[in-house]
Amino acid sequence: MITNYLAAHHLRLADLAGIAAVRFVIFSTVWFLLTGSEMKSWLVGIPAVFFAVGLSLYLSPPGCGKLSFVGGCFFIPFFLRQSFLSGIDVMRRTLSPQRLINPGLVSYTTTLPPGAPLIFFVNTISLLPGTLSADLQGNTVTIHTIDQDLPIWTNIQNLEGRIAVLFNQHEPKENNL
Amino acid sequence: MSFIHIAFALILLLAIAAGLFRILAGPTAADRMMAAQLFGTCGVAIMLLLAEGMESPVLLDIALVFAILAAMATITFVRRAWHSSENVGEMNENT
Amino acid sequence: MRILNDIGLLFIGIGMLFFISGTIGLLRFPDIYTRLHAMTKADNVGLGLLVLGLSCQADSWQTVARLIFIWILVLIASSASCHLVARSALQKNIQPWSRP
Repeated sequence: MITNYLAAHHLRLADLAGIAAVRFVIFSTVWFLLTGSEMKSWLVGIPAVFFAVGLSLYLSPPGCGKLSFVGGCFFIPFFLRQSFLSGIDVMRRTLSPQRLINPGLVSYTTTLPPGAPLIFFVNTISLLPGTLSADLQGNTVTIHTIDQDLPIWTNIQNLEGRIAVLFNQHEPKENNL
Repeated sequence: MSFIHIAFALILLLAIAAGLFRILAGPTAADRMMAAQLFGTCGVAIMLLLAEGMESPVLLDIALVFAILAAMATITFVRRAWHSSENVGEMNENT
Repeated sequence: MRILNDIGLLFIGIGMLFFISGTIGLLRFPDIYTRLHAMTKADNVGLGLLVLGLSCQADSWQTVARLIFIWILVLIASSASCHLVARSALQKNIQPWSRP
């Protein structure tokens, strides 16, 4: 079973062990956050973490998008700032006496590869000012905008570039260490 | 006890109560479901406020469960309820 | 610590304003898509500020981590459900409201 899995995803056993170990640490941290310092909880926790690692290797096999640490450091402040601005934007439109909206649909074709980067892109669009992802066909995203006068195109391209950096799409060779 | 947190929780409860009007008005099933989604986010927020206001950290766990259940509810609604009701309609038209 | 507590209350108070504007949007906006805009964005920012405020008042880093974890869960959940609702609405040919 393991040999089939390795062949299917072009992996060596050592790589797989490394990836599984990283996920093991992540899921253990989540379990620790959920249950606190109670030692007895690990009686359920250890099997649950093993199960989660197995399930995650099955459902999201390695190679469908590696996060870059530096990219993440740049992305998180950008995301927090943008989502705060989107909240302000919505608040302004809901509270103003006139109807400050001019909605419309826009189609955008992205160059991001399918898998994690694309899903991340589609979900982040909904949290940015004035845009909401309404459909995904192949690599074309239908975006509903609350105001057609906003610079949607520029914002989306900016987001796309940042996600490409986050998932190492521009310099794929640098992260193979 | 911190009364200001509980007062904030009451404000959120009022926000939910106002959202109930959307359930009455509709017009589509999804509009009604969105009011239920509002319960999800506001419910999590109320639990967090009460956890601090009443000094019972157990409520944080309830907030976690609310967060997960709200997502499940909407996804189930979209995948099962909203689409299958349409499919039933189509089948009736075909037969 | 007293000051940190007050700053926390300030953040929570601002968060409440976002929640209220989300509900107003849900009641006031003309169609399902614009209502989704109001709900998803305003409520997520509201919850984010609430988490920030409560983190200022929390007594252990573990509570802070838990609060942030809850926020991230709600973020993922609401953006995914928002996309699913909007997509089904489009597939059902519910036309977006547009300026006459």
